[in-house]
Amino acid sequence: MPHHIRERFDALVIGGGIAGMQAALDLSEQGHEVLLVEKTPSIGGVMVGLNKVFPTLDCSSCICTPRMAESAHHPRIRLQTYTEVQRIERVGTAFRVHLLLKPRYLREDTCIGCDECELVCPVDVPHEFDYGLGARRAIYIPHGNAIPQKAVLDVEHCIFCGKCEKACPTDCLDFTQEAVEVQTMVGSVIVASGLEVTPMSAKAEYGGGRFRNVLNPLAMERIQSSNGPYGRVLRPADGRIPHSIAYVQCAGSRDRSIGVPYCSRVCCMYALKQALLLRHYIHGVDVTLYYMDIRAFGKGYEQFYRRAVADGVKVVKGKVARIAEEANFDLTLRVELLDEDGRVVERRHDLVVLSQGLIPAWHPAAALGIEEADDGFVTTPEMKLNPSYTTVPGIFVGGVAAGPKDIPDAIVEAGEAAMAAANYLKRVNWKAHGPAAVPA
Amino acid sequence: MSSGEVEATAKAKPKRAIEVLRDRQGGMSKELKEYFNAQQKVRKALRGALQAGPKTVPQVAAETRIESSAVLWHLMAMRRYGEVTDGPEQDGYVLYRLKGA
Repeated sequence: MPHHIRERFDALVIGGGIAGMQAALDLSEQGHEVLLVEKTPSIGGVMVGLNKVFPTLDCSSCICTPRMAESAHHPRIRLQTYTEVQRIERVGTAFRVHLLLKPRYLREDTCIGCDECELVCPVDVPHEFDYGLGARRAIYIPHGNAIPQKAVLDVEHCIFCGKCEKACPTDCLDFTQEAVEVQTMVGSVIVASGLEVTPMSAKAEYGGGRFRNVLNPLAMERIQSSNGPYGRVLRPADGRIPHSIAYVQCAGSRDRSIGVPYCSRVCCMYALKQALLLRHYIHGVDVTLYYMDIRAFGKGYEQFYRRAVADGVKVVKGKVARIAEEANFDLTLRVELLDEDGRVVERRHDLVVLSQGLIPAWHPAAALGIEEADDGFVTTPEMKLNPSYTTVPGIFVGGVAAGPKDIPDAIVEAGEAAMAAANYLKRVNWKAHGPAAVPA
Repeated sequence: MSSGEVEATAKAKPKRAIEVLRDRQGGMSKELKEYFNAQQKVRKALRGALQAGPKTVPQVAAETRIESSAVLWHLMAMRRYGEVTDGPEQDGYVLYRLKGA
């Protein structure tokens, strides 16, 4: 485990998702030395786990992994995975960064990612990458496209049998490792800490987390992926191939009762994309979207909506009031049909996907000293002309950390954050003086 | 240090690194022991059910009296690590079989 981190970097980028990688690459291409910190064992963020992207239907991991490889191998980017930013102190115009390097319990420089340790490990654990639907081992490589392609030991599930150590062909396991705190100085910071979806339990009336056939949309992405947990689309409750699938729109957005009053901007499109793909994956499947409004606002999005409907995806303007589970794990939806004078009907489906909203994955206010808005996203006080500015000069924000957005917008905004950070470094003359000249 | 102490020190086997980690973690928790034992028990039951030939998740669940969602999860784990393979469909379900059975 590399305990040594250089004394200074031009910029710290927090988050190794698509926005963080873009910001790091843009800054490094301008000649800046970048420290890219990711809290999980692999970069790639949410995007690398998606099946396909809208509206092009490109394979998500196929277009994400080249960026991951570029970020990992760029000579001016220091990639630090499995590392948490504990806090940042402002020192003059610069920042002292306190990091916690978590132990993988192996030496990254000698692990060759061969998987031998994972294959002999006897403990299976619900895999976070597949939202618990699939399994991993207590020692595991995060996923097939992980970068770095190195194993990590989940010590909470280790039974200390030592089989991994015996199987390792390079003797890379190092059980003596411990978490290490390190410090470095940086001239600027970009927050790109990404997103989560609203909790499954947020809308109790929909049975999320209680009914196994009520799914998180990111779990459906994994189910649809060719390297997903089932290898095909199945119901989690009993392994049946579904024939009638419902999408409940705004199941975690535009809802003051759960503290998410805003539109999450991507749910209509990801639901339409998944629905269209399901029509292709399962012969004759019925897919119905229950929606309040379809918001297809982006480039090519309206055309995509029309394509999905033309391909047989049913769209019903209606609000789902509640979901009940039947004895055979089917689900009955009580729906108020908004286009039929509010008539209430019951519709039966064998699988339901909740189009949950986006919320920030990290709340950086305490660690970084920047402000967060009431919705939990980073405050951007100059959102019209300088959308990546936070309330602290020198700290910028990109991607969903600033508010819900799709992948193209996250990339554009991350690029803008990189430009703003570069301008800041020039303004404070960081290259010429560095931390030595920063007044304490 | 007495000669007896010298002898005892020489005979003490150095701890393996995994034992150092185990000691530092306070050993296996009771919850993990229960989790692991339950996993072993389910796997044995699933292997027993599939020994006779390919079965769907509900068929395995009925035979083993294990909840169908748990059967699916364990079968998928066994599939991922090469113990089980999936085959054709039967009445809307996938048939799973033990590799080599």
